[in-house]
Amino acid sequence: MLPGKNSEERKPVDEVEIKLNINGNVTQVKTEASTTLLYMLRDDLGLTGTKDGCSSGDCGACVVMVDNKPVNSCMMLAPQAEGTTVITVEGLEKDDELHPLQRAFGETWAFQCGFCTPGMLISCYALLETNDDPSREEILTAIAGNFCRCTGYQGVVNAVQRAAAELRTKNEDTEKTDV
Amino acid sequence: MSDLAIVGKWTAAPGAREIVTGQARYCPDIQLPGMACGKLLYSPYARARIVKLNVSAARKLPGVFAVITHEDIPGENSYLYAEPDQPLLAVDEVRFQGDAVAAVAAIDARAADAALAAIRVEYEELPGIFNPLEAMQPTADQVLKGHDNVMMSQVYRTGDVDAAIESADIVIENTYRTQWAEHAYLEVEGGVGLVDHDGGITVYSSCQAPHRDRMQIARALGMSESMVRVITPYIGGAFGAKDEAHVQIHAGLLAHAAQRPVHLIRERRESILTHVKRHPMIIDYTTAATKEGQLLAVKARVIADGGPYSNSTHEVVNKCGEFIGGPYNVENLEVEKIAVRTNNPICGAFRGFGAPQAAFVYESQMDDLAHKLNIDPLQIRLLNGVETGTKMYTGVVVREASGMKESLNKAAKLIDWEKRDEIERNPKPHLRRGFGMATILKGAGLGRGLNDHAGVVLEMHRDGSVVLKSAAADMGQGIITVMAQLAAERLGIDIASIRVARADTEKAPDAGASCASRQVMVSGNAVLEAADSIRDTLLGLAVRKTKISKDRLDLRAGHLVVDGKPHEMTVKDLALRAGVWGYPLHAESISHFEYPTDVPEVTYRYSTEVFQFCTHIAQVLVDCETGQVTVEKLVAVHDVGKMINPGGVYGQIEGGIAQGIGYALTEELIVQNGLTKNPSLENYIIPMAFDIPELEMEVIEFPEPVGAPLGAKGIAEAPIIPPAPAIRNAIYDALGKPLYQLPMTPERILPVVNLDD
Ligand code: FES
Ligand code: FES
Repeated sequence: MLPGKNSEERKPVDEVEIKLNINGNVTQVKTEASTTLLYMLRDDLGLTGTKDGCSSGDCGACVVMVDNKPVNSCMMLAPQAEGTTVITVEGLEKDDELHPLQRAFGETWAFQCGFCTPGMLISCYALLETNDDPSREEILTAIAGNFCRCTGYQGVVNAVQRAAAELRTKNEDTEKTDV
Repeated sequence: MSDLAIVGKWTAAPGAREIVTGQARYCPDIQLPGMACGKLLYSPYARARIVKLNVSAARKLPGVFAVITHEDIPGENSYLYAEPDQPLLAVDEVRFQGDAVAAVAAIDARAADAALAAIRVEYEELPGIFNPLEAMQPTADQVLKGHDNVMMSQVYRTGDVDAAIESADIVIENTYRTQWAEHAYLEVEGGVGLVDHDGGITVYSSCQAPHRDRMQIARALGMSESMVRVITPYIGGAFGAKDEAHVQIHAGLLAHAAQRPVHLIRERRESILTHVKRHPMIIDYTTAATKEGQLLAVKARVIADGGPYSNSTHEVVNKCGEFIGGPYNVENLEVEKIAVRTNNPICGAFRGFGAPQAAFVYESQMDDLAHKLNIDPLQIRLLNGVETGTKMYTGVVVREASGMKESLNKAAKLIDWEKRDEIERNPKPHLRRGFGMATILKGAGLGRGLNDHAGVVLEMHRDGSVVLKSAAADMGQGIITVMAQLAAERLGIDIASIRVARADTEKAPDAGASCASRQVMVSGNAVLEAADSIRDTLLGLAVRKTKISKDRLDLRAGHLVVDGKPHEMTVKDLALRAGVWGYPLHAESISHFEYPTDVPEVTYRYSTEVFQFCTHIAQVLVDCETGQVTVEKLVAVHDVGKMINPGGVYGQIEGGIAQGIGYALTEELIVQNGLTKNPSLENYIIPMAFDIPELEMEVIEFPEPVGAPLGAKGIAEAPIIPPAPAIRNAIYDALGKPLYQLPMTPERILPVVNLDD
């Protein structure tokens, strides 16, 4: 297991300063060199939206975007995130407006307890960045590492397809206005 | 009253926005000034004597605020679910891998780890008792000194079982085995304790029963319950394992000892090793029937391994016995219920309270019977199914049972049961396809004779907005949405105008535990009653103002409604008027689960009387080379009485099915000599997205006539129950060979495969 908040002995303390872009803000943060990205986000930056379900890379509750790719933040040391661009669940909302994916998750009951949702949202967000009309199969592949104990993943599939449709219409509209 | 405006309609949960933005706070997310990190030291042995326990070195370490052992507990050193037989911190012996020995609070996780490492425990390992059948012997060493290893042994009888078996055309006898199953909620157990200004203790608790937590925390602290407050923040799943308390009591003890906030969250490994599991059971089962397939008798013996402490074992095993005959008319039934103490993992509640084990057995028997008699599995179930008015083997007269046969027929139609033989059964030489069904019942509520009530407080303000205070824990199952919908429906407002406070013992009266699919009924009724009282006041004011008689008035979509048409006066106007004229819009209501007295005496103790009926049919593909089973399709039809919140109902169904598929095929805690070999999400195999087939779910509504809000009878437990027997029966259909043990892993399937069949 990689060292995290709950790890066994961590000593001596080796502090590092890390500079990265989080949710659009350039951020400088001091943390222990052995901290994971997950616990740097949660403990040092107070971004507790990203969850810890196992700290061993098995559940996907901690998924965040790092340089446009979804990664398990419990499996990445904070110093490895130096200079990267990170998006967490807190960064999906723009100007007080929910991302269509966030709204769709609520409308389709893509969650119950909601503990898997931050990681699930980011995995789906990453998918929609590269695929504006994903099939059921493609959505399942995108969330293959995201464990949900409350649902049977059907609401997630529905939510992603609903959000994708909305985003497509939006894009079409913008294209039209651009012309 | 007019048609329903809100009940039965899709709506997002009141907390959805917080959840999708990451603002929802669960126990691990709580951060308070000066908060210490709490940790527990757990036993590495299944059974050992504590020879020495020395914490003085740990106490001296820098950054350590408190180290406590059993000696430092000011009040009672025990949990109290039913029987106070489990210590909070071990005294002289540890009895399972996971018994807690000491607790620490320190400035951060590293200091807490250092403190744990500095605690000196000298153990003398003792020979453990791991086989329940051996533990039952009168000569066996006692797991818990002074307590019989057999913690429960009861026989329930109705009719003349032996005579019925004697007269039967066919008798089928089998022994079934089920496994330890892990809840694996995504948020592990946790709590945050803090000291209030007056010396009282507040605990944020990831739990199902805040008021019972409060009692237990107060008991451990030796404080009055009025000095303890329990608040549930968002909860990341529970499924029964957070019914009984876990570390929230220790969080309270540590906060008290350290006189500062303490954050105590288990790690995943600790969680799997320490919290209760679904009971493994050995069930001997005899079914007797006529050659036409009519059931004559059932005789069963259930032996459950409860681990060392009682927790909710009595309740679970009692419920297993209560449903042991299934949703069938069985006039002669005998069930022997035995629960045994061992040094294996502690067991307790897990979605369904023993009903999943029972259903795996009775539904497997049904298919064995159908095969032997060459009767269609659907027909044999329809032939024996209970009906409205049937007096069950428990003595309960079923008040509404239409859902039993209706769910069977609907499910058969959805999957085209009659035409299943037209589907390719042998798509490749090594692949076999099969179909299997299971139909079950699960009672809602705790049972007749048990204390089963819930209270709520409802308040409408001058601007028409409403606060609903309830102590019913929402672990994701959606009771908050249901309560908000019911209140909104009756007050004629939209859900957004209602703020539901999360469960807090200081704000709301006891609502009992969120378990046994009971909250929709008890809290639901309490909400309706409270809302109706406010509604009455509002309508009274409307009468005074409009001079129109009350029976022509209604509240809907924010307006007063006269003869079905919106009036210009709004609910807000009425609320403001109430404020000005001094009419309080405040109601408190306590609702008790209703058990009518004008019915025949119920013979099975603590029987439930409101039943969730459902049928699942699975289509599976078995790979005869690897032993791998793929669930290709699953249809599920559930009778919920009345659907209040469709999102929640369908969510509970698909989530239950996913858990049921895991229980059927992969989930098994491997325990050897009391030690768990797979305490991680990597090695305890839970269904992921690709393991769940596309589901076809249908909800049917046969309103429950007594004691159910608008007829609703809850849904939470039923969906996890049928998948295991349905899949088992489908594998039987595919291979022509029955299985009698869960989970049905490749290692258990391969030995029965015969490709020449
Ligand atoms: S917390 Fe990172 S994968 Fe589970
Ligand atoms: S909603 Fe609870 S784990 Fe996914």
